[in-house]
Amino acid sequence: MKHRALPLGLGLLALSLAPSAQAWEGKTFKVCADPNNPPYSDKKGQGYENKIAELLAKELGKKVEYTWFPQRMGFIRNTLRSQDPETEEYKCDVIIGMPTGAELVATTQPYYTSTYALVYAKKRGWDDIESADDLDKLPESRKAKLKIAMYDGSPATTWLLNHKLVDYAVPVRSMTADATVNTAQSLEKDIKDGKLDMAIVWGPIAGYLELHNKGGFEVIPVKSEEGVKFEFPISIGVRIPDKARKEELNKLIEKNASAIQKILKDYRVPLVD
Amino acid sequence: MKKPVKSWLIAASVASLLAAPVVSQANAEVEKLIKEAANWATWGGDYAGTRYSTLTQINSQTAKSLQPVWTFSTGALRGHEGGPLVVNGTIYIHTGYPHKIYALDQDTQTIKWEYQYSPDQGTDPTQVISVMCCDVVNRGLAYGDGKIFIAQGDATLVALDATTGKQVWRIKNGDPKLGQTNTNAPIVVKDKVITGISGGEFGVRGYIAAYNIKDGSLAWKAYSIGPDDDLKVDPEKTTTWTDGKVAPVGKDSSLKTWQGDQWKIGGGTTWGWYSYDAGLNSIYYGSGNPSTWNPVQRPGDNKWSMTIWSRDVDTGKANWVYQMTPHDEWDYDGINEMTLIDLPLKDANGKEHTKLLTHFDRNGFGYTLDRATGELLVAEKFDKAVNWATHVDLKSGRPQVVSQYSTQAGGEDHNQKGICPSAMGSKNQPPVTFSPKTKLIYIPGNHTCMDYEPFQVEYTAGQPYVGATLNIYPAKVNVKTGQPEEKLHMGSFTAWDPTTGKIAWQFDEPFSLWSGFVSTAGDVVIYGTLEGYLKVRDANTGAELYKFKTPSGIIGNVSTWAHNGKQYVGVLSGLGGWAGVGEAAGLEGATEGLGAVGAYKGLKAHGKLGGVFTVFALPNN
Repeated sequence: MKHRALPLGLGLLALSLAPSAQAWEGKTFKVCADPNNPPYSDKKGQGYENKIAELLAKELGKKVEYTWFPQRMGFIRNTLRSQDPETEEYKCDVIIGMPTGAELVATTQPYYTSTYALVYAKKRGWDDIESADDLDKLPESRKAKLKIAMYDGSPATTWLLNHKLVDYAVPVRSMTADATVNTAQSLEKDIKDGKLDMAIVWGPIAGYLELHNKGGFEVIPVKSEEGVKFEFPISIGVRIPDKARKEELNKLIEKNASAIQKILKDYRVPLVD
Repeated sequence: MKKPVKSWLIAASVASLLAAPVVSQANAEVEKLIKEAANWATWGGDYAGTRYSTLTQINSQTAKSLQPVWTFSTGALRGHEGGPLVVNGTIYIHTGYPHKIYALDQDTQTIKWEYQYSPDQGTDPTQVISVMCCDVVNRGLAYGDGKIFIAQGDATLVALDATTGKQVWRIKNGDPKLGQTNTNAPIVVKDKVITGISGGEFGVRGYIAAYNIKDGSLAWKAYSIGPDDDLKVDPEKTTTWTDGKVAPVGKDSSLKTWQGDQWKIGGGTTWGWYSYDAGLNSIYYGSGNPSTWNPVQRPGDNKWSMTIWSRDVDTGKANWVYQMTPHDEWDYDGINEMTLIDLPLKDANGKEHTKLLTHFDRNGFGYTLDRATGELLVAEKFDKAVNWATHVDLKSGRPQVVSQYSTQAGGEDHNQKGICPSAMGSKNQPPVTFSPKTKLIYIPGNHTCMDYEPFQVEYTAGQPYVGATLNIYPAKVNVKTGQPEEKLHMGSFTAWDPTTGKIAWQFDEPFSLWSGFVSTAGDVVIYGTLEGYLKVRDANTGAELYKFKTPSGIIGNVSTWAHNGKQYVGVLSGLGGWAGVGEAAGLEGATEGLGAVGAYKGLKAHGKLGGVFTVFALPNN
């Protein structure tokens, strides 16, 4: 569309007004994060995104400063793009985990790629499942007993439709509205309570269940297929005109690649090359 | 009603000693207030939602002399939707969440009382804000039984004493921790106060609930989607328009149109407006879109999302339903207001209808139905840019979808360009007005189209998935003819004949109209614009008679009333809402539509956020 040139031009104008030397003003590395979203981040700094933030801040010789807001609809509006009304300073400058190419931010080069995974509770009669496709082969009598989560909006739901398993699935909301409980926590609870036996979820969440319930869960990565994309690269997000900061982060990611990989592995995040 | 009738009658008669009018039921009091044009007692000015006033002081001759006579800052930023209520001389205005309500004395232009929201124990305002989709707007207050009602952002329903502002009762209509919030104006009907629910983004299954006005106890609650009992649908008695007639919906009419248990997170929220016909003892409203955004993931018609509802006030039983957009693929949320009008209309079979319901949907069609029977009479495009469907087949009642503009037909990796209208709709939530004098409906039009790009990666609470990007831009098509044109306007002031389904005349507006209209017996139509103008047009010709720039963009609804023999017009300005949170749509990016970027830039030049109530009148001499 020919009109695209205009907004691009505006972006360049903003860049020329923001020299790169000012990308990291101040003593702090200002991170926008969810105060309760394991395994990504929490207020105690226990998430892997907290660890990555600390690693990068250290490299820059700065301290991490957080702006907390639940990662829901208004997250970016209320954090990365929110200015202090008095000083007009932005509340925070980076979001540690954003899918590469996410619309509302500019993203760095990816620092990992994960995939959705089938995770099920062991010793509930499903231990013979070795791949997601094994679900297709189940006899009708076993399918009828499937307590598999069906998240709205998730590619896993399209997968369930493709595999004619929707009639056996239990609808679950992708986002909890309650900021004190996130998806990973509510999934863990629903499985413990027996409401669910299994789910196809984003890799880091599957990793979280595995790590928190040693030996209790089987995690099997699921392959993308026609109309269903399961693999997503993840980047750091900055404000769209913030090109200098993005470039500097790209260099930091490259330099610290192996340290970042180690953090992700510690959190059992399924990684795709 | 759960309370014994006897004790309730005693309470009412005590109240009637204090308040002047002798009333047997709250609605009789409200009906009396409505009849007196000095008041503006409901969101729609009356129960029918016509937003018409019989006042004539400000008219097509005098409007040019209007002037702002006083202003009042609400002290709040964010979007100010809804409008002032005026009851027995007192003006009531309010703000978005966390709410403030001010009762204003017109003689002294001072605050009589002030209400400041405070959360219940266990409610975290930040959490509430994080689940309100489109800013923290609220569309208005309701009055009845000496009380002011507000459906708060945190889904509590509050009754305040109208003379003191003291809380009389407060109940939970929903749980924000489940994504349930409120943005709608409630309505007081008979001995009940009625409210819906927001939160389709969180898979909330929509419902409408009636609470007893005395104590807030639940009278009835009826869902949009699910089993017949939940819906208060009688398979034999509840009807819908099908095959050229109304017929019973039959058993499991909703469940049959969903796969598996998907209906449990089915949406169909009810965050719009509620109208009432006392003669038919019925309320009317629309249900919203099915909640899972991706149409591929919810095969079927997804009933009864996107539906016009008629329900019995006392029991909540559904009289009739009509689904406008089966299996929505465009987010044409069906919640816009129902305007109840009485005009003669002869249908194709020569049958006469007089009790009409009109509705201007996000999907771009203007509907006229017989509100007593649910018969579909008219369904025509009120903006000729509309292209997602060629027409609505009057026999089946179904839109004839054009596959080129189906977001699903192209597959999940296919761009659909130039879909009209955009997801914002040919008209969004601001209500129309109907003038029984001109027999025309005046529509706040939104003249935009969209490209729908399914590649976009979304990230919700830490889970990436392929979503869709909507690029929204001016339609660049003539509103009246549908012919291409090079104009970049995004709004339309449209006068519509509800009995023929034809545009009578129309004027372009630079920006989408996001303000509720008012028409009067003085042959004027009054409304606000996103740039912040209050505008007056001639109801017969559309000629612009007056405009005044208020401090911020107007997404509020205009009211008119009289005080000490003088007619006033009032409106809240204060940009925000979906129209104003341009940033939320990623407008700094390179992939956004020019129109939206243009709108955002344009609006930036016109002012900042901030709520101000402005009152207009004619000079004294």
